[in-house]
Amino acid sequence: MKTKETAESLPIVSKMPATTWVHDVLDPDQLSGAKRRFGRCKLGKGTLILFWGLRIYVVLMIFLVALSIWNTLHSGK
Amino acid sequence: MVIDSTGEIDVAFTSTCSQCYILKITFDRKFSKNSTMNSMPIERDIAEQSTSRVRREDVKRAHDRQHVQSHRAGGRWWMLLWLLIGPGILVMLGENDGPSMISYATTGASYGIGFFLPFIVLTFAMAFVVQEMTVRLGAVTKRGHAELIAERFGPFWGFFSMGDLIVGNLLTLVTEFIAVRAGLGFFGVPPALAVLGAFLLIVAIVATKRYWTWERIVLGFAVFNLLFVPVAILAHPVSGDVVRSFFTWSPIAGGVTVGFILLIMSNIGATVTPWMLFFQQSAVVDKGLTPADIRHGRIDTALGALLAAVAAIATVLATTPLFIHHVDASNFQGADFAKAIVPYVGSVGATLFALGLFEAGIVAAITISLSSAYAFGEVTGRPHSMNSSFRDGWPFYAVLLTAAGIAAVLVLIPNAPLVFITIIVNVIATLAMPPAIVFLLLLVNDREIMGEQANRGWSNFFGIAVTVFLVLAGILFGIATVFPHLFPN
Repeated sequence: MKTKETAESLPIVSKMPATTWVHDVLDPDQLSGAKRRFGRCKLGKGTLILFWGLRIYVVLMIFLVALSIWNTLHSGK
Repeated sequence: MVIDSTGEIDVAFTSTCSQCYILKITFDRKFSKNSTMNSMPIERDIAEQSTSRVRREDVKRAHDRQHVQSHRAGGRWWMLLWLLIGPGILVMLGENDGPSMISYATTGASYGIGFFLPFIVLTFAMAFVVQEMTVRLGAVTKRGHAELIAERFGPFWGFFSMGDLIVGNLLTLVTEFIAVRAGLGFFGVPPALAVLGAFLLIVAIVATKRYWTWERIVLGFAVFNLLFVPVAILAHPVSGDVVRSFFTWSPIAGGVTVGFILLIMSNIGATVTPWMLFFQQSAVVDKGLTPADIRHGRIDTALGALLAAVAAIATVLATTPLFIHHVDASNFQGADFAKAIVPYVGSVGATLFALGLFEAGIVAAITISLSSAYAFGEVTGRPHSMNSSFRDGWPFYAVLLTAAGIAAVLVLIPNAPLVFITIIVNVIATLAMPPAIVFLLLLVNDREIMGEQANRGWSNFFGIAVTVFLVLAGILFGIATVFPHLFPN
């Protein structure tokens, strides 16, 4: 992004703040507001099958948990 | 304002908010250097990479890193170790939570000295294999577990991981406050006072808004997990039997029954719980560990596993007198164990046991509620650091304290279904583990983000083997809990 401004429109500049040393000390991705995006992982066939298996597992897991809650409630505990 | 040799000027200003901006301004070189600022039109090129927002949490983290770099450069390995330990010890000693210590006490009262002593060591060795992967993931990618899942596998899995973690953690927190109530109840502290006191302690530690301070305070509490060691000594176990059990993995009181196998499965399935993966990776990031610190992260995790195993074995030994004297402990709750062992370890031993139970509950409550807050902040893209100011990180702190607060309130509600919650927590923890650990394996094998720190060779073999073992054991235990009639008693 480029903007053409005169000096009068520049923000008031204070002396170099103490926080510039933070960039020297921390790795680039350690700055909380400036992390690079890794992006989505490219999934191979095996991983895609695994993910579909996970989706099925999640559905079964929710069913099992609901059943466990039902059984426990009706056993009077 | 500094002009470098390329003609670029670093101009910095601090806004009235907590953020500091650094801009790079490039002068147009056609203007003479005698031109004054007022007469020169300036082309300002604000590149995204040059504009870096430095939050207060970054400044605090940088302070901590300066200490690490200084001691590393000075070759002071003992100071380096002191600075870098923390997440591993906290996660392992946090896993020795209230229900776990009661489980170990039940094991000692039911089986005495024998199979379970070396078995405990095996479970913590498996936990080390899994948790070590989170150290590498956090140090290399600088991202928490939930954040990485969301970034690499999409928002659905990110929100699913966060959601099931927060729900599971909330229920687990209830069991931790139960342990706090039981531990302090031994001393006659009313339940409301015990639970409120524990909650206020969590608030006070969080209010430091400083990861380093928070970590050191919680480490100070966590070390009291070793209170079970003097109790074990007071129980006067036969040392020859203890040593023999590590070599022979026996005896197994009552023989190998279906109930015994299910107990094994439940212990294996509970070796690593989802919050441990999320907590340690996020804590490693919050602490600011880098690839150069991975070795110390491993030492930290191994030390945590060792201390936790010692405390767990000590708890088994502490209640072995109940087995020897045929005391039926099958329906014992937390404080019942402390009262029951008085004849064998004395009132001092029982007092230490009760204090250990309180410690187990409070440390786990602190670390588990923090893991929920980390996951929330990572997936929603909000500040998520114990170094955050309240202005920047209020959603993070709100989630942390709300999770602990809800659990504390539930424990105090008369006739609240606490036994029901305790049973359901085990089912959810074991069944929620497979997706979390599968993502862990996928991420740690992702060379695109891990580079040379990706799993390979034998580490991958052990990692996958342990993962498969944990997943199968957890699923089997979950099914056995939901369909108990499938397994003959």
